[in-house]
Amino acid sequence: MKRNIRDPRGKRRARQRRHPHDRRPQFIVPKRPSFLPVIVQPVAAAIPPNAVTVVRVQIKHHLLVRWAHWTTIPLLLGLILSGISIYWSAPIFQHPADSTGNFDQAADIGIWLCAHVPGLHHYSNPPDWFYNHLSLGPGMLGVALRLHWFCAYLFMTNGVLYLVGLALGGGWRALIPRKSDLLASLQMARYYSLAPFAFLLRRPVIHPAYTGKYNALQKAAYGSVSAAGVLVVLSGWAIHKPMQLYWLAAVFGGYNAARVWHFILMCFFILFVVPHVILVLADGWDTMRSMITGWSLRTETVGGIRRDES
Amino acid sequence: MTKVRKPLVSPAGQSRDGSLTDIFDVPFDLLRKRTRRDVLIFGTSALAALTAGTVLLPDETMQRIGIRRRFNPRGKDWLLDRAINIDDDVAEALYSSKRLVPTYSKSQVTGLKNNYNGATPGPDYIPGWNLTLSGLQYGLTVSLDLRTLLRRFELHEEITRFVCVEGWSEIAWWGGFRFADLLRAFPPVSQAKWARIESSVNLDVNGNADPYYVSLDIQTAQHPQSLLATHFHGDPLTLEHGAPLRLIVPVKLGLKNVKAITGITFLADEPKDYWRVRGYSRYDGI
Repeated sequence: MKRNIRDPRGKRRARQRRHPHDRRPQFIVPKRPSFLPVIVQPVAAAIPPNAVTVVRVQIKHHLLVRWAHWTTIPLLLGLILSGISIYWSAPIFQHPADSTGNFDQAADIGIWLCAHVPGLHHYSNPPDWFYNHLSLGPGMLGVALRLHWFCAYLFMTNGVLYLVGLALGGGWRALIPRKSDLLASLQMARYYSLAPFAFLLRRPVIHPAYTGKYNALQKAAYGSVSAAGVLVVLSGWAIHKPMQLYWLAAVFGGYNAARVWHFILMCFFILFVVPHVILVLADGWDTMRSMITGWSLRTETVGGIRRDES
Repeated sequence: MTKVRKPLVSPAGQSRDGSLTDIFDVPFDLLRKRTRRDVLIFGTSALAALTAGTVLLPDETMQRIGIRRRFNPRGKDWLLDRAINIDDDVAEALYSSKRLVPTYSKSQVTGLKNNYNGATPGPDYIPGWNLTLSGLQYGLTVSLDLRTLLRRFELHEEITRFVCVEGWSEIAWWGGFRFADLLRAFPPVSQAKWARIESSVNLDVNGNADPYYVSLDIQTAQHPQSLLATHFHGDPLTLEHGAPLRLIVPVKLGLKNVKAITGITFLADEPKDYWRVRGYSRYDGI
């Protein structure tokens, strides 16, 4: 109990089971306006005549959201690895060539690491370190392009599926920021920065209350990562078809600027993933499971203890 | 499934405005069963994705992380080729012969490096140079020298962006005659949908003969901005830029802009392409 700092009342409260003699009607058609969060399909044969033990759950993620979430991971990984391989053949971030003829700032990163990190001093080809570790490898443009298109078309299909579901199911409402989110996100930031210390000191820290599916910072993160998905596809098309879609390249400030956009958006995805993974690990199995099964045991909304961070 | 369906879950709460919430009471056994099913599906899919990923990654990449293999199942190339063909079809659908690419002013012109894949050929081929046209409507083959070409066709200038498959681009100022004018003067056979454009003087890295050839669809050849260029930045083409005649198709990637053209063949079927056989796109429309 002591260690469960964010919910001082413990786990037991969340899993409310009905008393065996509770005869209240249990099966009412959920009249939901949207097609979204009905994950448990009605199957008549599966209903026991007297269902006694029920678990109160919150339906969190529709199948489409879960599908899009997990399939994005390998696709984005493939896109980043092949993308950096493509980048190798014509780096956009350059400086005037030095004495070795190197002009690539990404190669500089490898050179610096090999010079300063113990254990890397004998690395055979420091300028290639960056590409050897963060891409398919240098000198693989043709292979990388094929893999990039393969992943890109799947990524776009997936993205369209997700966005259509978001639009039709009304899930977009959970991602739209409000004016009050400005203050709330500061409170959330305070909470996130205090929580690790509170955990170490075994002191409680109260999670700021919020309504809706996500707290202010989650909304900002998930909303912006979806927007970044749209932008990365658009900037990709601007680079890919700068003549037929020259107006799109112009929207991003021209062909070269679109390349910079595409690169920065990739960095944004990488920066998003780091706290995302840390938070889901810190938050535990319930959050992880909710992205696999769709439901969560966290049904408490009172007192601001509804915790779903990831 | 003839019975009346009963829903398994009931909404357990109502939000303040009276609408139903996402809170449900679910029979414990059912929840456990569904969860087990979902976690199993998830785990299996994750393993499948991992396998697919390692199969799709190139051998060279796997070698980098210490896995030596020679593994090239037929399905892998088919799948990746499919993606590149879809991408080519999209590029073809996007193309319009009426859409002109943006042009620039002379003050915006940048340098253009010599990006010959191998050694730069010449200059010994220049004196005897001829452009050979085959697959023509009247007669089989025509050979034209530079003087004939320059006398016969009107010169046009354009300043366009030259985009390389590698990612870099430059703004270059070209002068030459329109490919469309050549097609009008020497009409190809009526079934011709493709042109094979060749440079037989092309060299590989070691300086050995390595004929360069690309496929070009007739529609792109007829584009008003498709030039057979003889001039670069106001001067006659130098050897680095493909003297005496090179192709400039601003709606295609740089690799289609063949330098030192020696022959153009018109064909009904799509010819081979130097970069296509090396795993790149065949259409290269941008």
